[in-house]
Amino acid sequence: MRKFLLITAIIFAILGIIFAVLPLGTIAFLPIVIAIIVSLLAFYKSTEKLKKLPRIVLIISAISLLVVVAKVVLIKDKVATDKQFEIKKEESKKEDMKDLEGL
Amino acid sequence: MRRIIVLLILFSSIYTCYSQGKPGEKLVYSASYNMSGLMTQLAQVSMQTELIKTSKKNFLHLSWEAATFSKWDSFFKIRDLYETYLDQTSLKPGLFKRSTFEGGYSITQKYIYNPDGKSISGTSRIQNRAESKRNFAIGSSSQDIIALVYKLRTIDFSKFKPGQSIVLSLIFDEKEYPVSIKFMGKESLSAGNLGRKECNILSIAAKTDRLKGKDKNLIWLTADANRIPVLVRFSIPVGTGQMALSMASGI
Repeated sequence: MRKFLLITAIIFAILGIIFAVLPLGTIAFLPIVIAIIVSLLAFYKSTEKLKKLPRIVLIISAISLLVVVAKVVLIKDKVATDKQFEIKKEESKKEDMKDLEGL
Repeated sequence: MRRIIVLLILFSSIYTCYSQGKPGEKLVYSASYNMSGLMTQLAQVSMQTELIKTSKKNFLHLSWEAATFSKWDSFFKIRDLYETYLDQTSLKPGLFKRSTFEGGYSITQKYIYNPDGKSISGTSRIQNRAESKRNFAIGSSSQDIIALVYKLRTIDFSKFKPGQSIVLSLIFDEKEYPVSIKFMGKESLSAGNLGRKECNILSIAAKTDRLKGKDKNLIWLTADANRIPVLVRFSIPVGTGQMALSMASGI
């Protein structure tokens, strides 16, 4: 049981790191929270001598959680300036004028 | 994802602004989708009105634009543009255009309303396929999505009782859909830079598989003369989402 919990915690912790690094926003909370819960369970299921690995997984997950919270709070969502789209809009408007003149 | 965008369009277009006659209105929304139980901000939706003059007539140009936040562009880039030109005098639509780019999938559509008011000359193109042209009949009160919601925004809901509804006819993808709008009541909500506003809650229902649940597709319109959409919540087969007003100007 402990081994299963530990493997699950490690998998979700790795996913959490990947999601935290990628610009996936709050979705990253999902694997991180799972990693924290499962690593906590693994921690309590472990004997004193074997608590080191679940503790490391827990710390890594907690750091990932902090990174995601910081990114969500500090980095504001922006829309990139898309020159191609702007040109397309202008061209569309010119084309519309021709159609509107015929109405 | 495409369904989400269509839904965003369906509801967000309920903006139409020019409401009580003001070109230059701009409304900006933040669109979020519920991913694994968490509302994740996906895109910015902006809506603008403009007065366009031709040699014969004046038109109200109502445009809707959706763009994913830059962090999502590498995963699923969206650049959508929906436009309608209404005759300023009659408020009848003359031209509707749709240009969507969603995750590499593009559609362009153009509807020219024929003078008889009973048919549309439509052209459409999907991806890089050849352009197709089709004339199709419409009901006398049927309108494209933006024109329809413009109409909706001109309706005074102050006299409506909870549960009271109206039916409008929507043209989307060359098909007509009856859309039922039910007045649900009132609620005070935060409306971006406008502060707290009392809003009318409306439930939207249409006979389409794009909407899910009863009274789960809702829109909050300010209960004042501007009737600005403050919040839109939608429920579709693949999840739920919302669009919240973040900035309003030129009202």
